[in-house]
Amino acid sequence: MNHHYITLKDFNLFLTKLVNQKIVYGPVARKNKFVFDLISSPEQLRLDYDVTILPPKKIFFPPKQHLLHFDGESYKDCLDPKEQIIMGVHNYDIKAIDQLDFLFKEKNPDDHYLLNRRKTTIIGSNIQTIAARSFWGSAGAGVEPKGHDGFLTKLKDGFVFETRTKKAENLVKFAKFIKAKKTQVEQAAQINTAVKKKCPAKLAYSSAEIAIKTRLAFKNNELWERLSKDCFSCGSCNTTCATCYCFDVQDSWNLDQKSGFRTRYWDSCMTVEFAKTSLGGGAVHNFRALRRERFRHRVMRKLVYLNDKLGGPACVGCGRCATACTADIADPVNIVKEIMEA
Amino acid sequence: MKKSALTKTTDTLFTPQKAKIIRAVQATQTEKHFTLALANKEKFQFMPGQILEVSLFGFGEIPIGIASSPTRENTFDIVVRTVGRVSAAVNKLDKGDHLFIRGPLGKGFPLDKLINNNVLIVAGGIGLCPTRSLIQYILDRRTDFKTFTLFYGTKTPEQQMFLDDLKTWRLSKDVHFFETVDVPNASWQGHAGLITKLFKQTNISSNTRVVLCGPPVMFKFVIFELKKLGIIDQNIFLDLERRMKCGVGKCGHCQINNKYVCTDGPVFALSEIRFLEEAL
Repeated sequence: MNHHYITLKDFNLFLTKLVNQKIVYGPVARKNKFVFDLISSPEQLRLDYDVTILPPKKIFFPPKQHLLHFDGESYKDCLDPKEQIIMGVHNYDIKAIDQLDFLFKEKNPDDHYLLNRRKTTIIGSNIQTIAARSFWGSAGAGVEPKGHDGFLTKLKDGFVFETRTKKAENLVKFAKFIKAKKTQVEQAAQINTAVKKKCPAKLAYSSAEIAIKTRLAFKNNELWERLSKDCFSCGSCNTTCATCYCFDVQDSWNLDQKSGFRTRYWDSCMTVEFAKTSLGGGAVHNFRALRRERFRHRVMRKLVYLNDKLGGPACVGCGRCATACTADIADPVNIVKEIMEA
Repeated sequence: MKKSALTKTTDTLFTPQKAKIIRAVQATQTEKHFTLALANKEKFQFMPGQILEVSLFGFGEIPIGIASSPTRENTFDIVVRTVGRVSAAVNKLDKGDHLFIRGPLGKGFPLDKLINNNVLIVAGGIGLCPTRSLIQYILDRRTDFKTFTLFYGTKTPEQQMFLDDLKTWRLSKDVHFFETVDVPNASWQGHAGLITKLFKQTNISSNTRVVLCGPPVMFKFVIFELKKLGIIDQNIFLDLERRMKCGVGKCGHCQINNKYVCTDGPVFALSEIRFLEEAL
């Protein structure tokens, strides 16, 4: 919609006012890493972060979300969306959120996600520090980030604030934003183009090439065995993933053993239990009993299955899985290399 | 199943409906057969082959195929095998008790492809439960279908279910009914051996539409027999079981490659899943 400009000093005043009146999340330092957390004062917001441990989806699609409250035989849906702002979302996470929006909306719209999402304002920011394991410069390179409300680009003395929706435009009222000069807008565009080139092009193939070769490798058991042999099936690659959205649904009682919640929890297709069914009498059938089958399923989900729907891979190159994996076997860059050279 | 989230303020994908147990019969040692009606007295609308998420608050939800045809009364049937926490709790319920359902979910049997054709249903074990919705449907609309053959196999005679139905089907002229048990007991008079042996007892024409439901191991062997008869993949329909946690195509548990069994299935033509390596 519009391009605004704000000086660094006024930006701090803007944040102060904003956090006093709204629920604002953003990247904050936690020891030597970063996490998305509530911001209560401007200095906490670290727009120079590289990547956060968990992606920002946790704010509107929390790891534990009540679906239903029950009491005896009566029940009510748990829908309690809150107005909230997420500041400083990087482009790879913006892409991931856009994918989740689509997936939760398609076919059967999921209100527990969508209502939260609708009340959330997403403000992106330019990437100032490139995380060591990230490869967003070459993951789904053709997919443009969209679905966010606004975008901040840091210039030397201030920020260019691009508003894309009314939600973002409403924030401008909180401080002394002025109309951005043409040169400032151009400078912001240059910064965002330049950073893409700075991110090492770790994937030497197009998404389409990767998808085709990966699908063809489905039956290459030797390859999947080799890639997954050190897998602990812990699911860290799933729980840190910006685009993973699988969940489990469980009931739990309160102490009265009468009332309680039906709750969904983030789940992980890499865990042994994920596709297991009980046949009765203690017999089970696990549809992905082997490590290599689970490993392959994750790779297919990220690189192949969803591409048609999403217009690109369901991997945005944040590198979180690579960082989180204890055995260091989850890095899509290495997996793709192995597949392409197999 | 539901409208856009924008327009809707009450029900969500996870809002259940209350159902009352009209009848509860211990079908076998481990299976209980429930006849249900919606507590709000409305007729429950569904198609043969669709599934429900059945739940008890505090215990959880489980996916269960509907075991009766919408052509029957205002009620609908489910059969629950005692397997885990939820099913054990459900199977302690009796007539007059309530449970909760979400659904109907998924696509049922492809009636449009079965009507005006010869139909064979192959049901193994509790695979008879979801297929019973189709068996009743065919028997109720018998003139819509050509020859109708039903194979039913269980491990032992004690595992046979719907004993009243079996008696009726044995005598019925509307269905060619063949049954077998893997391991007979002293009083078993009928056929003994695997379900695939029943193919020798009858002539199934190559243009027959076949519906299969049973334990995962059964599919491969029955499909092998069907191929010998020259039945094409497009005419073979499989009712698959998976761990359908949400039932609405989101949670990922029931996925076979890129397909969700709960929303793309649970009934698939073999031609749809022949090349999905994890399907069978």
